[in-house]
Amino acid sequence: MNIDFSLITTEIALAILGLAIFTLGLIIPRSARKGLGNIALLGLIIVLGIAVYSWPNQGETLGGMYIVDHFSSFFKIVGLVAAILVVFGFRRYVAANVGNYLEYYSTIVFATLGMIVMISAGDFITLYLGLELMTISFIVLVAFRSFDVKSLEAGIKYLLLAGMSSAVLLYGLSLVYGATGTILFAEVAQSIIDGSGGLLLIIGLVMLIAGLGFKVSAAPFHMWSPDVYEGAPTSVTAFLATGSKAASFAILIRVFVGSLTGIQEHWVMLVAVLAALSMLIGNLIAIPQTNIKRMLAYSSVAQAGYIMVGIVAASQSGVKGVMFYSFIYVFATMGAFTVVAAVYNKIKSDEIADYAGLAQRAPLAATVLLVCMLSMAGIPLLAGFVGKFYLFMAIVDGYMWLVLLGLIMSMVSVYYYLRVVLVMFRDDPVDPTPLKMETSVTITLLIALGVTVFLGIYPGPLSEIANTAAQSFFTP
Amino acid sequence: MSEWVGVALFIMAGLAFGVVGIGVSFLVHPRSKNRYKLETYECGIPVEGSAWGRFKAQYFTFALIFVIFDVEVIYLYPWAVSFVQLGLAGLVKMFIFIFILVLGLWYAWKEGALEWK
Amino acid sequence: MVEFALNHAWLVPLLPALAFVIIVFLTQRWKRLSSLVSITAMLGSFVIASIIAYGVFTNHEFIEKSLVYSLKWFGMEGFNINVGVMLDPTSSMMLFMVSLVASLIQIYSTGYMKGDPQYSLFFAYLSLFGASMLGLIISSNLLQLFVMWELVGLCSYLLIGFYTFKVSAREAAKKAFMTTRIGDFGMLLGILFLQIKFGTLDLVELAAAIPMFEQFGVSLGLLTLIALLFFMGPVAKSGQFPLHVWLPDAMEGPTPVSALIHAATMVVAGVYLIGRTLFLYVQVPGAMEVVAAIGAFTALFAAAIAITQREIKRILAYSTVSQLGYMMLALGVGSLSASMFHLWTHAFFKALMFLAAGSVLHALHNKADVWDMGGLIKKMPITGWTFVVGGLAIAGIPPFAGFWSKDEILVVTMEYAKHGHALGYVLFGMAAFTAFLTAFYMWRMIFLTFFGKEKAENHPHESPWSMTAPLIVLAVMASIGGLIGTPWANIWGEWINFGEVHHAEPALGLMLLSVILALAGIGLAYTLYCKDGEKKTARKLAENYQSLYQLSYNKFYIDEVYAWFTQKIVDGTARVTYYFDIYFVDGIVNGIAAVTRGSGKGLRYLQTGSMQTYALVFFLAILVITVVLAFGSPSLASIMGGVK
Repeated sequence: MNIDFSLITTEIALAILGLAIFTLGLIIPRSARKGLGNIALLGLIIVLGIAVYSWPNQGETLGGMYIVDHFSSFFKIVGLVAAILVVFGFRRYVAANVGNYLEYYSTIVFATLGMIVMISAGDFITLYLGLELMTISFIVLVAFRSFDVKSLEAGIKYLLLAGMSSAVLLYGLSLVYGATGTILFAEVAQSIIDGSGGLLLIIGLVMLIAGLGFKVSAAPFHMWSPDVYEGAPTSVTAFLATGSKAASFAILIRVFVGSLTGIQEHWVMLVAVLAALSMLIGNLIAIPQTNIKRMLAYSSVAQAGYIMVGIVAASQSGVKGVMFYSFIYVFATMGAFTVVAAVYNKIKSDEIADYAGLAQRAPLAATVLLVCMLSMAGIPLLAGFVGKFYLFMAIVDGYMWLVLLGLIMSMVSVYYYLRVVLVMFRDDPVDPTPLKMETSVTITLLIALGVTVFLGIYPGPLSEIANTAAQSFFTP
Repeated sequence: MSEWVGVALFIMAGLAFGVVGIGVSFLVHPRSKNRYKLETYECGIPVEGSAWGRFKAQYFTFALIFVIFDVEVIYLYPWAVSFVQLGLAGLVKMFIFIFILVLGLWYAWKEGALEWK
Repeated sequence: MVEFALNHAWLVPLLPALAFVIIVFLTQRWKRLSSLVSITAMLGSFVIASIIAYGVFTNHEFIEKSLVYSLKWFGMEGFNINVGVMLDPTSSMMLFMVSLVASLIQIYSTGYMKGDPQYSLFFAYLSLFGASMLGLIISSNLLQLFVMWELVGLCSYLLIGFYTFKVSAREAAKKAFMTTRIGDFGMLLGILFLQIKFGTLDLVELAAAIPMFEQFGVSLGLLTLIALLFFMGPVAKSGQFPLHVWLPDAMEGPTPVSALIHAATMVVAGVYLIGRTLFLYVQVPGAMEVVAAIGAFTALFAAAIAITQREIKRILAYSTVSQLGYMMLALGVGSLSASMFHLWTHAFFKALMFLAAGSVLHALHNKADVWDMGGLIKKMPITGWTFVVGGLAIAGIPPFAGFWSKDEILVVTMEYAKHGHALGYVLFGMAAFTAFLTAFYMWRMIFLTFFGKEKAENHPHESPWSMTAPLIVLAVMASIGGLIGTPWANIWGEWINFGEVHHAEPALGLMLLSVILALAGIGLAYTLYCKDGEKKTARKLAENYQSLYQLSYNKFYIDEVYAWFTQKIVDGTARVTYYFDIYFVDGIVNGIAAVTRGSGKGLRYLQTGSMQTYALVFFLAILVITVVLAFGSPSLASIMGGVK
């Protein structure tokens, strides 16, 4: 079995980066480890460059276990962008609240590697391998503030629940293997066409949905996410909400739309119901939240619901919608969490009430939070609107009820987003001293703002790229 | 038929390995009975007690480091068997593998995980 | 270089737009720097626009075929929206004119707005205003154009209401915005109809498709409806009767803004838009007649109001309405070139007069009544004499710019009449009479303001160079700007035309008529307001024809009619719907909101924080789904939606 190394340069580079950070951290004195953040940043940017450069490369390697096409390349870039923003935008936050640079940054890189391996998986083993590398890294990251009870609680919860979901997923994989006799996605698809199926396959399918639904925090498998999002360090929460989610969506599409197409009649309706549930539960429970991280956690459940709409479509336009939305979602979410972390750095609070008068104290941060939230709510001229437009247009024939529900729930979401906005812009601050943001935070915020606004006004090019990538998914 | 003979021999040898060991020890061990002698682990932690009993966390660190090398052997063994076929590429890959494991050990060592405190 | 400018025409609106961003986000604190940024950007646009104009006017290909390039903005299957640039003689002429006038107005503003606390912001708005107008000009499709159109409206709102401390300014801003919104509503409907029926909003594609409208299943009646709906936008934006009411009030903004709105940007947008879509109107003669009739009526109507007004800027405002009527008239009789020619000359002399009026107000500390002025020309020679040039131009005295363009409009109206349109003679009569009135009211104002006795309580002084220099440039343009369109050397008509190139014989008779009318108007004004120091005759006339005077002075009570209408009928209806809204609609909405909130609170208790619950839910969900899928899936699938 020959390995085509040209297809996996990104992965190799990322693995080397992770080990290099680790080795270097062991060599240099403890006091100098802070600089590892810069090395991670630089390295990730180089890896992103490699990933963008190898965009034209397409093919399969390791006997079909590893698939590289525009679809996977697109999601890899999304994951890497998320990682870069996490490393860059939260530098001060990490320095002040997390520490342990060696472990932190190398684990971030390994989590990214896990995502990327999972995105490219061509069979169930690779899928599981990537997923576990990502999950275990995240377990460590979630519990990183070991002096903070909340973080430890989140870590233990994530450890046990993620372990449980992994077990379910693995069981599902083995059932699918039992029903079809193969672990390669392409062969599974062929086997289903040839007639294998039955209850065994259905149960396997449900368990796959449960296991991957856990990762994208789709209701009713979302229950871990509010507690974990709240307790984890904000930088990790941001990464969990963006990179981990985007990668899981990629593999969800790969498995369901790409491989289990033959039994569509079973899962399309199921995914539609889960999407509807996620929108409902996410948006409704977000309303009474008082902690901004918890609120964003529920909103992220709702966002998962919107994205799943694209999987319901199971068509090129649906997949394109998912890709477009994942991309813009990374920026909107990163923007929001960067503000949360930067504000926490100053006022040591995540309570929405403490954001009073933020517009006066930190105008840029308040503006970015406003724009990012409005984008998530789908207000026109912001990227989120275009994304939702693509997603819902893909299912407008046949699933009108889901479109209507999505629209109604988007309106509901405006309510709780605007509650934060109101507190920031209308209320007077208790302490009016301006909050000075660090340069790295400012730059990250400007990037998030710029991308969100630009893609809202001019979505054309990204939409084209996503379309090409979606096309490569269906006609390799 | 002949291959089944080998299997039968293997099973018998395996049984003998256990039976002989226990038997010999039964014959030669000194006979003294006291509380400590009757415990499961003569010099370990008590095996009975409240379910909320606490362990020193360092046991886990040790266990983890042990597992690293335990697992390593599983890979090393088949590699060693087909070393000739795998050739130089196999050697390089195994070195990378070992390097990664050693890195873990190095880290554990440097962070003081190997010292019992 | 020409090549570069032609292919990068989008830089023209982009530069001022960048200036807006830079000023708002970066340089707002430093006033001089902000104005410098703004002016530099606008001058940059002017330079590019000049090169574009040069490139277009030296290349004969552009007459037949516009230069169009675009890129895809967004799209779905069967529905593409492009953003693009469309360059032809009309748009390059407009680019040149708008960027020139806008630059001059910005330079002027450095003097006029000196000491204003919101100096930087003013320049930011001016830049955005210019950017949106320039963007409108180069738009290659109607949606893009509509976005820019709305941006222009927004900027006018911001700028008219710039003195936020003045109630009248705030009211005027609201009035301008809402009145133009009425028109925009119709226009948007027209655009939607075009998209639905013809499947494109691209101007070039529409121009090709509309002549074959029957192939698209569009009846002539529907096309007329579309054209008239579409015409509502320009009616409101270009201040045509009956939606002209906002325009005179718009002078509440700072004077440079009035100049910009009246001369170069907002109001001409409507005329330009009709010019751009003339291919639609020529298909529907009915709509053309409406355009021409509304134009001629507006011209006469506004002139009739202007003769009795007392405030200097208000007189100018009504004269703008009147002149825009001329442009519409020209479009209505099918002459793009005459209309655009008048737009061109009007931009210069009207900007000139507004800026000169601003200079006067500046000197007299915002005393606006012309009856309180007099003899200002001695103290303010530059302002005075440039204003006189503007007056000669608008009155139509050869060889000043206004003469040629107004004459062109009269000629084309006459030809229209001769081609068997009886209505044309009426229109011609109205236009000719308006020409007389225009000369009269304009010179009434000039005599009252600049000549006659000086008033002792006034202490005027000439304005600084930053203000007078633009006046001189504009005066030069107002004097000679019309020479490119004389009947003897009609360069203009060759370039900007619609259909056949118009080669009219110099109509000497009409020329003579219009000169006589203009001189008669000026002469009457002289006798009434200058020769007679006490203005006895003028007062007596006003008293003898009290009712007519009052009618004109009160602008034919149009505002009052609207006020009555909105207060009684609209408010009455509104009150009924209000109660309906409060008790019925709000009841439902609040009910839904309460249910939503309540369910959020209720659902929240599912989140116990206990991991065992989470795991339980996880496995229960798997169990339920498995059972449903294994045993009940077909029926559920049929309820929830079809599988593709």
